[in-house]
Amino acid sequence: MTALLRLLIFGLIFLTIVYVALSWYFRAEHRRRMERDWEEAGRPGTREAYVAAGMEQYEQSLRRKLIWLVYVVPVTAVLVIIYVTNIA
Amino acid sequence: MVYVKWGFWALFWTVLVAFLHYTLPDHDIVRVTDTYERRIEPGDNALFWSNADTGDNTQATGRDVFFIQTFLSDENPMVFRNEDTGWGWPPYFKFDTSNLQAQASDAVSDGNGQNARWVDVLHYGWRNEFLSIYPNAVSITPVASPDVRIIPWFNIVALTLLAVLFWMIRARWKRFWHKREEWAKDEWSDGTA
Repeated sequence: MTALLRLLIFGLIFLTIVYVALSWYFRAEHRRRMERDWEEAGRPGTREAYVAAGMEQYEQSLRRKLIWLVYVVPVTAVLVIIYVTNIA
Repeated sequence: MVYVKWGFWALFWTVLVAFLHYTLPDHDIVRVTDTYERRIEPGDNALFWSNADTGDNTQATGRDVFFIQTFLSDENPMVFRNEDTGWGWPPYFKFDTSNLQAQASDAVSDGNGQNARWVDVLHYGWRNEFLSIYPNAVSITPVASPDVRIIPWFNIVALTLLAVLFWMIRARWKRFWHKREEWAKDEWSDGTA
């Protein structure tokens, strides 16, 4: 059972690193896009307020939630491989 | 210096290709002639034996390993080992070694001609006589004839995804450094702008 535990623990650590890195990256990308949008929209209001509103929307968006696939896809792949190799 | 750089990249690509070639699944169309188990005491070649923790004691130095003895369609011999990979590397999650051995011994056929029964053995790993290493069989499926053509869909998809991932990281890496160079160029460093 230690082998399974090792896989779970290291897998969780690795996927969490990927998840956090992707979250930061996509958030930074979105912020940059918002800043460009603000300029292209003719600078309505303050830049901070515009970007903050955009980021608020992003945090609620499907795009943001799709990062959870980082956990979902590998776990599903492992379950499918176990099924195909040993049961099917 | 340029040779060091070449040498580095040549080594990098060789190791990567070898690693993928060892790890990714491969198909062999064979006829099984015998199945047996043999005592194995891995030494320098221990890296090429799996010693998965699937309930048994992993501290034992020697253990019995299942083997599947076959002939390829070109009548060259090929011997597979049949071991659990368990939860470890490579990630085949194979636990059904004993069942596979039962299937293999059920597929035994002697001689050529009409009596030969051909099977597709999905496996990973290498056969190397000098190191005494054997590919690990993962599954066995009966096929109609030795000329069956098997399209390696899994490898096509896996390698494509890997290439896409490499390319995406590389593009972002290059853009990152390119931008840093751009930022470094201002009126103070350049005297222009």
